[in-house]
Amino acid sequence: MSLLLQLFKETANRRLAVIGTGLAGLIAALFLAPSGDAATASFPESWNLGLRGAVDDFQSWVIDHRATHVLFARLFDPLSDAIEGTLILVEDFLLWQPWLLVIAAVSLVGYGLGGVGLVGVCAGGFLFMGVVGLWEASMKTLALMLVAVFITLAIGIPTGVLAARSDRTDRILRPILDAMQTVPAFVYLIPVLLFFGVARVPSVVATIIYALPPVIRLTNLGIRQVASDAVEAAQIFGSTKWQMLVKVQLPLALPSILTGINQAIMMALSIVVIAALIGAGGLGREVLLSLQRLQVGAGFEAGMCIVFLAIILDRLSGALGALVLRGRARSAERNTSWHGHDGGHEPAPSLIDRLVWAPADAVSALVARLGPGVELSPLRARLRRHAYAIDCAIVIVLFSAFDLVFPLGPFPEWLQVDFASPVDAMVQWMRDHLYRIGDLPIGTGPFSDFLTLHVLNPLRDFLRETLPWPAVVWGVMMLAWLAGGWRLAVGAGLGMVLPGLVGMWPQSMDTLSQVVIAVTVTVALAIPLGVAVARYRRFAVAMRPILDTLQTIPSFVYLVPVIMLFSVGRVPGLIASVLYAIVPGIKLTALGIKQVPSSAVEAARAFGATPWQRLTRVDIPLAMPTILLGVNQVIMMVLAMVVIAGLVGGAGLGLEVVTGLARNQTGRGVEAGLAIAALAIVLDRITQAWASAQTPQR
Amino acid sequence: MILWAGSILYLKRVVNQPTAVRAETDSAIEISCRGVWKVFGQHPHRVIDTLNERQSRQATLRSTGHVIAVRDASFEVRKGETFVVMGLSGSGKSTLVRCMCRLTEPTRGAIVIGDRDIVTLDEAELRQLRRRRMSMVFQHFGLFAHRRVIDNVAYGLEVQGMARRSRLARAQDMIELVGLSGWEQHYPNQLSGGMQQRVGLARALTVDPDILLFDEPFSALDPLIRRELRSELVKLQQTMHKTIVFITHDFAEALELGERIAIMRDGQFVQIGSPEQLITAPADDYVSAFTRDVSRLTVLTVSSIMRDCEQVGQAVSSDESGTVLPAGTRLADALPALVERETPVLVANHDNNVVGCVDRAALVEALVANTSARSPNGRAESPAT
Repeated sequence: MSLLLQLFKETANRRLAVIGTGLAGLIAALFLAPSGDAATASFPESWNLGLRGAVDDFQSWVIDHRATHVLFARLFDPLSDAIEGTLILVEDFLLWQPWLLVIAAVSLVGYGLGGVGLVGVCAGGFLFMGVVGLWEASMKTLALMLVAVFITLAIGIPTGVLAARSDRTDRILRPILDAMQTVPAFVYLIPVLLFFGVARVPSVVATIIYALPPVIRLTNLGIRQVASDAVEAAQIFGSTKWQMLVKVQLPLALPSILTGINQAIMMALSIVVIAALIGAGGLGREVLLSLQRLQVGAGFEAGMCIVFLAIILDRLSGALGALVLRGRARSAERNTSWHGHDGGHEPAPSLIDRLVWAPADAVSALVARLGPGVELSPLRARLRRHAYAIDCAIVIVLFSAFDLVFPLGPFPEWLQVDFASPVDAMVQWMRDHLYRIGDLPIGTGPFSDFLTLHVLNPLRDFLRETLPWPAVVWGVMMLAWLAGGWRLAVGAGLGMVLPGLVGMWPQSMDTLSQVVIAVTVTVALAIPLGVAVARYRRFAVAMRPILDTLQTIPSFVYLVPVIMLFSVGRVPGLIASVLYAIVPGIKLTALGIKQVPSSAVEAARAFGATPWQRLTRVDIPLAMPTILLGVNQVIMMVLAMVVIAGLVGGAGLGLEVVTGLARNQTGRGVEAGLAIAALAIVLDRITQAWASAQTPQR
Repeated sequence: MILWAGSILYLKRVVNQPTAVRAETDSAIEISCRGVWKVFGQHPHRVIDTLNERQSRQATLRSTGHVIAVRDASFEVRKGETFVVMGLSGSGKSTLVRCMCRLTEPTRGAIVIGDRDIVTLDEAELRQLRRRRMSMVFQHFGLFAHRRVIDNVAYGLEVQGMARRSRLARAQDMIELVGLSGWEQHYPNQLSGGMQQRVGLARALTVDPDILLFDEPFSALDPLIRRELRSELVKLQQTMHKTIVFITHDFAEALELGERIAIMRDGQFVQIGSPEQLITAPADDYVSAFTRDVSRLTVLTVSSIMRDCEQVGQAVSSDESGTVLPAGTRLADALPALVERETPVLVANHDNNVVGCVDRAALVEALVANTSARSPNGRAESPAT
């Protein structure tokens, strides 16, 4: 007896005991609830909070008081007008510029930041936008992006500085940022819409909200990571707080801040497309329309434009970051080489140097002549450092002057190529030949049907109808308890009840079933691939460009090729989410295995472990925390994608949001949004806790 | 080996400049610390108030969870003096020097610089103090990775608002002083560790402070570079006469640099004294453990082993050759004079007055004490000044 008690005290056994009781409870619940009896399985109607009515009432109040209430007259409307004004300004500017000049300017920037390689990407990408006849839409999207990212940085960097300055601000901000990053972007659209009305402004605001967390986080992190040595040295020399920030902390945090900017751009781009749902024009609208009309060819063109835009902006901002870091080393090298010539004499400049410097020299000569007391040589040296930028500016000014005299006009018809028709033809061919190959039950159609009928439906029905709702909540709570203790279990329980309280239980179970299956498939694929990437150099080299590209593509765009093959329904959403979410799974698995200390691997080898033993007994257990972080990211990305897939017949919560948006039923949208947020936070916290619980076991 | 080489260097210096004599000359007091405490934890004051005299640091940590980093430290540093605080890691020496510039706020006590207790300064006053009067060299250099060497060196003047041209000119002078000409336009990470610390030193000197704080500046460097920088610092100090507080865990370094050395252990001063005092009269076993391996020949002067001439029992005039050793002569230098004759040799002070005699017996006695004595043979002075 005492022995039994002692056994019971050990943690592992206590866990087993709880799982046992849990299972027993589950089975009991199954027996108590006759299967298929909707009355017991579904969430009680009477518990509904009635949020829908309240939100709809609030919406009509907003509509009635839009013009009069101080909140709108003094805050939201002026804000809205300011954003709209800026947006129009930037958009008009971009569209007013001759297309060739935009391409030239972007290419010049690309050359300045990253050399010839980037010129190819920039010029090629922008040319493509013109060639497929989406120049105007692309410029609109670009304008929206630029404005949104600019405002994001203007808010995010100062906020990040504040968070780095004060631990209290940091503590307050952290859970807010966590929630902002956990909740799929889709959910923001509804409240934003409520306050800013339908137009392009809400899409800008939604973009800003979505892109803000990484900027704040990475600014905060960057400043906090500045070596305490440097900060103390700055203190010892009597720096004021402002001097410390501007002369020491911000410059040293710059690489981290630039990473934040890069992330903000990528996130902004991914939501700019989703924002088409609430009235943003441009490329997103094109994709959305083509998805709704099933015009895959047009969707393909617009999708490619978005991908190019994403790749170009990613590479440009990445090159900027690399340049900042390298610039320090490079300029020093140049200086050493000058010192090599004894007494600091510079080598005679080459002809190209002189040509590049000519405008800078001319400007400095002019300034020196006009401005009294300006010395020529230091000014010239300083301007020469920026000779490239000055040259670019002059080229652009000359170009636009030329365009004023001999207008270039819109992107010429003769340059445009119709990509849509061949793609449509290809899709047609695939529909005809791949959907069902011959008379055999093979092809994408049967595959899709099989998945729907034998995998998706049974699981959905099991969660929605067979299992009574308390059993589901209980199961999730047990998982949470195992991962992170009773506190998390209580939180997870509350989180799981919320979808029921807002009347979204069946839809939530539908979404959950899709998430479970997509995550299972993704993880099953990602871990072996990740191991292979870590183990085989050649495979890693081959995979890298694929992974990088997959990661830059905004989630929305994945749907286009998938519906080519699988028509609409839940399956294309599933496949798109696997594609979308597999990258972090692979990358983090590979990272985790690469980080396994070589001493452990050598020890395993010394004891005569076979490669398989080494993998299962050493590599994977040691890499577990990182792999689990990957699983966490996979789950979050799958959820985001499954929700978006509501657009292509994905059913579940996503469909509710889409319908809510489309029919202007804000209450319904808010309910679905809350349910999504609750699911997202519960899943995130459980997997996070699981991952961190693995870490100390090392 | 290193110790030995360091001792030789030390010897070179002291032959030129007898330390013991200079330390005794009166000069104004620059820094005065009185009863400085630093306790890390939730309720530092409560811990100090309830602290038993004898309660050890470990016991306090165990019972209260507080770490006593500095325990009631009192000392004075004279103008132009090099004061070394020596202790092993965790002895609280770094915390002490950080308290002296308020990078760490002392829990209790007064730190008087000039006529102000710097503990009471507000932010603006503290900034002025740091800008004008003191400067610091850090263990891990603390250079600004995003600035060129010259802009690192000019930083102090920059935050004071000096115009670009004049501050760069001044920085250039300092870069030349520390021997880094030609590296002005490089970034710190392109320099070796020793060169980086030269930048750190130049940066501290640029603002021309009265007080220089060194927090283990050479610990992160390899031994050869460390020795080189150390002797250059000695050379610089001969012309600068700054007030220096130097933290180190290396006893040889302390001996070479310090006019007075404070030995710190568990947050407390064990002994303060000149290198000679530490060796001839270590306060306890802890101090003698450090001094044990030091060659007495190179540290002790004849004045520390001389006796009254009458005790020696020989007439002063009996020395025909007329050899007289100055009081500041190291034993190593006195060796030839003592070994070649049976009779005692006279020792004279600055004014050529005979102050005592040394003979072979005294020399042997001093050296034997060096090798055999684990317990000190002299009187054990507790923290002396």
